[in-house]
Amino acid sequence: MRSDGKGSGGPPKPPGETLGDLERTRFADLLGLIATRQDRPAFAELFAYYAPRVKSYLLRLGADNAQAEEIAQDVMVTVWRKAALFDRAQASVSTWIFRIARNRRIDVFRRTKKPDLDPEEPMILPSGVEAPDARIEAMETETRVRAAMKDLPEDQLQLLRLAFYEGLSHREIAEKLDLPLGTVKSRIRLAFGKMKARLDND
Amino acid sequence: MMKVTSATMMDEATRAALASGRAEPSLGLFIDTLLEMRGVSEGEGAIIAGATLEAEIMSDMSPNALDMAFAAIDRGRAAPKRALVYSELGQTPAFLQDVILAAEADRGWGYGGPGIRRLALDMSGDKAGGAAKLEIIRIGAGVKVPWHTHKGQELTLCIAGEFSDHNAVYGPGDFSVYDGATRHQPVAAAGAPAFALAITDDGLRFEGLLGALQKLFNA
Repeated sequence: MRSDGKGSGGPPKPPGETLGDLERTRFADLLGLIATRQDRPAFAELFAYYAPRVKSYLLRLGADNAQAEEIAQDVMVTVWRKAALFDRAQASVSTWIFRIARNRRIDVFRRTKKPDLDPEEPMILPSGVEAPDARIEAMETETRVRAAMKDLPEDQLQLLRLAFYEGLSHREIAEKLDLPLGTVKSRIRLAFGKMKARLDND
Repeated sequence: MMKVTSATMMDEATRAALASGRAEPSLGLFIDTLLEMRGVSEGEGAIIAGATLEAEIMSDMSPNALDMAFAAIDRGRAAPKRALVYSELGQTPAFLQDVILAAEADRGWGYGGPGIRRLALDMSGDKAGGAAKLEIIRIGAGVKVPWHTHKGQELTLCIAGEFSDHNAVYGPGDFSVYDGATRHQPVAAAGAPAFALAITDDGLRFEGLLGALQKLFNA
């Protein structure tokens, strides 16, 4: 296993592309090697892929370069320490690492004093839609959501990114994209609904 | 209490707030703990975020970033790992244990009345009024918490042990919602202490929200 990110899974995908099934499996294997035998080359490969992306994520949240660098490193050290807790049947490596990075948001907010809440927007609302009873296996959901994302037009994908990844409120998205708030709400519902519709149809 | 296996009744704004970490930190931690203890996956929202991280642009890390990470890893290995004050909490989700350890190192457990100890979990980063208050309450075996009410709503999640009130018995993963007016008196089961993760809204911020959450999980 080599530490330059060019292991048996082929060259790393450039930014803008998501990982394929084989690459995701490989990254889960690497995390397993860290957990079972503290494998440093495996860590180096994950570091090469994820650290620069986590840093970009933190920069988007308003961290400055030094903060983003520091927290990205800290996130990756946490990846090493918590590797044994990773359950590949429950989540992809990317989702798991995002969650660790996401939990660092509080640090970023502390430093930038960015308000984290839009007081006019409620946080917990029942949608009134009954939950489907069928419990879909986690990895099956992963595969299907990713396929659904590939089918979404870019403008809808952008809305999902801003809401689910960057954590902007609907109101903030409306301001950023210069769209009416109602349009943002309905488009996000549409985009998310398409994914669920696809889930139901498969 | 009814168990649920899906969180799909939440609307898109709520799911996005939870998946992205934008939710008020105390409420976010409470709901994450609740979902994890009940084996509920937040599903699509988390997957969207994870896939988006893959598509992220790459920002340059400093040339020695990897070496520094390994150095931090080695330092961490040398340092003795702090243990939880109460081993019962070792069964709670790992991210909650991290917060507990930080709080124990910071202020530690305080007196909460005879047989009761409290650990405040500071999630907000500032002490400004209005934010939700999150704490863990340890109720000694067989101890009755005095009858009380709250300024606002209180959501209580049993994270270890067992306690009961006039309504029901609560084991790990069970939770209750009290509005500001309802007087209640939790009692820990005999034989072992009970631990509750409790969030209160001080009557300001979450008006109506926790009730909606109750509907979500108890409907």
